[in-house]
Amino acid sequence: MISNYFKLAWRVLGRRKFFTFISLFTISFTLGILMVILSFMQSELGSNAPLSNKDELIHLPYIELRKTHFDTIPEIDTLITNGTTKYDTTYQYKSRGTSTSSSTFNKNIIVDYLSDIPFTKQVTVYSDNNLFDFFINGVKLTMQLMFADENYFKIFDHKIIAGRAFESSDITNANQVMVISSLSAEKYFGRTENILGEEIKIDEKTYEIIGVYQHSGKIISFVSPDAILPHTILDESDSDPFYFGGFRAIYQKDANIEINQLKKEIVNASANIPLDHPANDFGFNEVKLVPRTYNEMFAQGIYYDRDPTKSHRIIKWTVLLLLLFFIALPTINLINLNTSRILERSSEIGVRKSFGATDTNIVTQFIAENIIQTFIGGIIGLCLAILMISFLNNIGYMANAKLIINFKFFLYSFIVTLFFGIVSGAIPAYRMSKLPIVNALKENKL
Amino acid sequence: MINLKNISKVYRTKTIETTALNKIDLQVAKGEFLSIMGPSGCGKSTLLNIIGLLDQPSGGELSIDGETTSNYKGKSLSKFRNEKLGFIFQSFHLIPDLNIIDNVEVPLLYRKINAKQRKEMAAKALESVGLANRKKHFPNQLSGGQKQRVAIARAIVGNPEIILADEPTGNLDSHMGDEVMNILSNLNKDNKTTIIMVTHDERMAKKTDRLIRLYDGSQVA
Repeated sequence: MISNYFKLAWRVLGRRKFFTFISLFTISFTLGILMVILSFMQSELGSNAPLSNKDELIHLPYIELRKTHFDTIPEIDTLITNGTTKYDTTYQYKSRGTSTSSSTFNKNIIVDYLSDIPFTKQVTVYSDNNLFDFFINGVKLTMQLMFADENYFKIFDHKIIAGRAFESSDITNANQVMVISSLSAEKYFGRTENILGEEIKIDEKTYEIIGVYQHSGKIISFVSPDAILPHTILDESDSDPFYFGGFRAIYQKDANIEINQLKKEIVNASANIPLDHPANDFGFNEVKLVPRTYNEMFAQGIYYDRDPTKSHRIIKWTVLLLLLFFIALPTINLINLNTSRILERSSEIGVRKSFGATDTNIVTQFIAENIIQTFIGGIIGLCLAILMISFLNNIGYMANAKLIINFKFFLYSFIVTLFFGIVSGAIPAYRMSKLPIVNALKENKL
Repeated sequence: MINLKNISKVYRTKTIETTALNKIDLQVAKGEFLSIMGPSGCGKSTLLNIIGLLDQPSGGELSIDGETTSNYKGKSLSKFRNEKLGFIFQSFHLIPDLNIIDNVEVPLLYRKINAKQRKEMAAKALESVGLANRKKHFPNQLSGGQKQRVAIARAIVGNPEIILADEPTGNLDSHMGDEVMNILSNLNKDNKTTIIMVTHDERMAKKTDRLIRLYDGSQVA
């Protein structure tokens, strides 16, 4: 029976070439695009190196200082009692507005007041990427440099392909060393091997290359700098006000606690930060810290809301709805195509039922045909996805990003497509199986 | 074997009521070759469809082998059609996407018969209609007469007791028609298969055991 279905499906696909083309194109194109989207999401949001610990991380990018203004507000009521006017005045002491100032951290704030937080396995302090120009062999080159501590390489599992990562002595002694990415090594030296000990001169200072890490292929900036230097090289105490600077913090939670517990501890740690410092000349009376998970931070980058959980929720549902919509459109198209295809074959249904086919036999036959068709479409879709992804990687459509085919996601996408393939075949087949035999035979399209 | 008692068929719309069959009483004995004649629209095919359990009568009772057929529903009805009945249609109704042997095999798909045995039975049926050498051909590669012979092979492959043929020679020239008629006659004689055939052709009808005539839904002879 199965081989008969397969034979019939194969013949039907071959005989109705235009229909087959439209169906296979719909299935394979949907799967192909879905794979590219999922590959991008997996590449950026998946737990893979150097973000294998991403679900254990809390980002603290900004410090916000707030000043709430309070005023005494009089309210005067006029009362007339026994023909005499009286005045009744009440006073309210309430908020009349808030002034805020927020920025990335002065690194000393993180080091001095926000490093020792309960339930934290480790914390790293790192800067935004800073653009620096320098010259090699008379050619001007630009590097995105990050300043970080030794924990950076513990929290982010960059693969060190030559030399070593920072040690605590590099940070303590403010050694003039750097760890560069394989991409930068290729770009600046034309190789990734034998460059340990090479020197790069930046701002009249010479830095020795002590390690090379595998370029992550991600577009998230804090795991894709060109080179990383010890943060102690920068002295922020002179150049920045006490609270603000160019640094951020990332915390890794202890294994046994919930991520929200660490979030709460970080929020509570705002009480550690002194407000009586001379730099607070505006009189801010509150420090607000808004820690966020990796996914929340990513979501805020796309849709900003002050509440990162809300940003995450909105982006998550938007993406899910878009994906569903993306799958639903071709599914509806397939249902239409299958309905007209099955209608064309109503006479065949009549013949089969005349010779003893049950309604179940008819529905099973058309579902089997759809499964075979979807399976072929799936294979084409996979090939299409591989081609598109390798094309996108080759043309470097986004700086530093590298997409990978994730077969687990392919399987999920395929199951979803198969499900809709089955549904799109089953609905019209079920309707047609209920068609009276005599009417089905009258269609005479055979 | 086949007993029709007061069989009526009325098609109703909101405004019109059309009587296709009017109180038909008919008995067909086992092994009989019966032909039904009458002008177009007199109800011949409707009667054949009712006997073949492809359609339901509006009134009356049909029994086959002493069993009232209205008792058959769903799966049991399909099983009954599969095991007891074979159909031959005027326009052949072969499945164009299947080759000849696969077309003949169709009734066997709905029985628990393994693929090898199905192939053997289908090949034997094709051999009996003289088409053993056309197994791998597709319907569009055959002449009208050959197509109808394939349809006969499909009808007989499951050894049904009754064959219902709706104008089996209607789309064929006289030579091909004679060929098909000979096959049906031999089938009736050799296998004692009961055959009920609707035809417009007086010449073909005369080759059968008995002829009945319908006019405006009623049996007139």
